[in-house]
Amino acid sequence: MREEEKAYAVIGGRGSMSVFEIYVKTTPELLWEAITDPEMRAKYSFGVRVESDWTPGSSYRSGVPGVIEIASGENLEVDPPRLLVQSFTAHWSEEVEAEGTSRVTWEIEPVGDSCCLRVTHDQLAEDANDELFGGWPMILSGLKTLLETGELLDTPGSLRYSGAAEA
Amino acid sequence: MDEVFKALADPTRRQLLDELFARDGQTLSELEGRLPMSRFGVMKHLKVLEEAGLLTTRKRGREKLHFLNPVPIRLVYERWVSKYADTWASALTELKQEIEEEQR
Repeated sequence: MREEEKAYAVIGGRGSMSVFEIYVKTTPELLWEAITDPEMRAKYSFGVRVESDWTPGSSYRSGVPGVIEIASGENLEVDPPRLLVQSFTAHWSEEVEAEGTSRVTWEIEPVGDSCCLRVTHDQLAEDANDELFGGWPMILSGLKTLLETGELLDTPGSLRYSGAAEA
Repeated sequence: MDEVFKALADPTRRQLLDELFARDGQTLSELEGRLPMSRFGVMKHLKVLEEAGLLTTRKRGREKLHFLNPVPIRLVYERWVSKYADTWASALTELKQEIEEEQR
C-alpha cells in the first residue's frame, strides 16, 4: 500500500544504486535551504560549500577553493522544496574521477511533523568505488543534527575541510 | 531507536541485511532464494526491517527492490561510539605531546 502512495522520482536506468533515508524533525522549506545554502551545507558536509544558482539546468560545484575539489555537475530537476536531481562527478581523487558521472536525487516528503529525506545515488558502475556514496550516512546524520539542534556534529572526519580555506 | 535494536536482534534479519550489503537492490524472490524459509516468512522479516528504517524499497518497473539503509546505524554510532573515538583521538594527542616533551 505505502509504496503506491509514495510519489517517487524516476529511478533506475543503467548501473547500480544506493538509497539513504533519514527522518528529520523540520519543514520541507528548512530542509531545502539546508541542502542548497552554501554556509549551511558546509556545516554538515565535511566543511565543504556547494555553489549554484539552483535553476533547472544550472551547474553546481562543491569544494574548498585552492584546497580540494569535491564534485561538480548539473541540476537536472529543481522543484523546491520537494525534489532536486543532480548529475554527479567526483573530483577528490583520480580514482573517483575515473568513475565518471552518476546521479543524485534528493526527495523531501513531509511525514507528520517531520520530513523524510531520501537520497538516491544511482547510475553508478556495477562495481563502483564505495567512496562515491559511502559518505551519505555521515552527511545526512550531520544534517539532522544541524536542523534539530542547531549544533554541529563533529564526529571524526565529518568536518575535515572546514577552516581549510583560511589555514 | 528501539525498533532498530529489535530488528537487529534476530539472526535471519541480520542475514537479510548481510545479503543486501553484499548486493544492494534485490527483489523478494532473490532474497528468498538464499534463505531456508517461506516467502511469507521472508516478507515478515523484511517488513520489520523496513519499519525500523534499516531497509527501504523502490520500484523499478514491476519489480520491488530492497535497499540497505545504513543511516539509522550511523545514528547509533554517533550516539555512543563517537565519544570513544574522540577520547581515543585526544589520548593520542596527549601521548604525542608527552613524547615530544620528553625528547626535548
